[in-house]
Amino acid sequence: MMHRLGFCAGQLGSLRLRLAGQLLPARAMSLKVGDKLPAMELVEGPEMKKVNLQELFAGQRSILFGVPGAFTPTCSRVHLPSYVRDYDKLKAKGISQVFCLAVNDPFVMQAWSDANGAEGKVRMLSDTQAIFVEAAGLSLDLSHLLGGLRAKRFVMVIEDGVVKQLDVEPDPTKATCTLADEVLQSL
Amino acid sequence: TAMTSQVKPGDRLPQVTLFDGAPNKPVRIDELCAGKSVVIVGVPGAFTPTCHSSHLPGFVADFDKLKAKGVDLVICVAVNDPFVMAAWAGALGSGDKVLMLADSRAEFAKALGMDIDLTAVLGSVRCRRFSMHVVDNVVKSVNAEEDSSKVDASSSCRLLTKI
Repeated sequence: MMHRLGFCAGQLGSLRLRLAGQLLPARAMSLKVGDKLPAMELVEGPEMKKVNLQELFAGQRSILFGVPGAFTPTCSRVHLPSYVRDYDKLKAKGISQVFCLAVNDPFVMQAWSDANGAEGKVRMLSDTQAIFVEAAGLSLDLSHLLGGLRAKRFVMVIEDGVVKQLDVEPDPTKATCTLADEVLQSL
Repeated sequence: TAMTSQVKPGDRLPQVTLFDGAPNKPVRIDELCAGKSVVIVGVPGAFTPTCHSSHLPGFVADFDKLKAKGVDLVICVAVNDPFVMAAWAGALGSGDKVLMLADSRAEFAKALGMDIDLTAVLGSVRCRRFSMHVVDNVVKSVNAEEDSSKVDASSSCRLLTKI
């Protein structure tokens, strides 16, 4: 299922969407198929390693999937496990790296990875301040449930830094089109 | 700097809602603590190194000593969502010793004047490291860590000397 988002290829980057504590509307900011990933820095791991998205995805065929929250029911029971389980099948189809992104700090992401046996398969990216998801039009306000902005549930296939496929789950509490086996069928 | 001045002995606990394991399991902290001798421990983050390897384990280990001093309940609070707090409780094996409550929107930390901006590292305002003894919702002692990355004033053994 393809989800067409707005057009904004040239405005991605390290734009901050907060002004005096107010969130600006994200309608003009979104990532779509054909766009290059922004040159944003996220964090990987408890050592707080900074990773540049463009460098991370250059020259590789990758999957990046987003989840609303580490340790939340759907993310933990179904979504992350699907990628851990189907990792070898994804590699057999030419995917060289799989990343999971969430608006959670790197310590929580590491603990979640450990709890799901993701080590060596799915790498965890912390979009700690939600800069990527806001810029990409992939943020979800879950303040009432989890305390802040989170990522929508999505999956992207990225080739040499360019988004080739993007699916966003219409109901973030469910994982259907964003599961690994669905992506496998499209590769 | 916190907008509210820091909680001190003699203050009453604020009437704030925390969450026990899920967003649909709210708990009013003052209702939970009414009529009881309670230890409340605030930490910057579930699964962060100091919180995970030294601060909380101290309270889990000293649980029986705290009970011997008349403490009815030990509560740990952090600005994390309820699912993360529940997972952390599982990982720590804190079981029925320490009740992990989620201060998802930092309301409790702010009401206590214990909020600290850790946006750069952890993505949001968090809770300072502290320990507190409260009896029937009246604060008896507060031990705030000057440097939230350390465990000294806020340790369980230090609190035991004050109860």
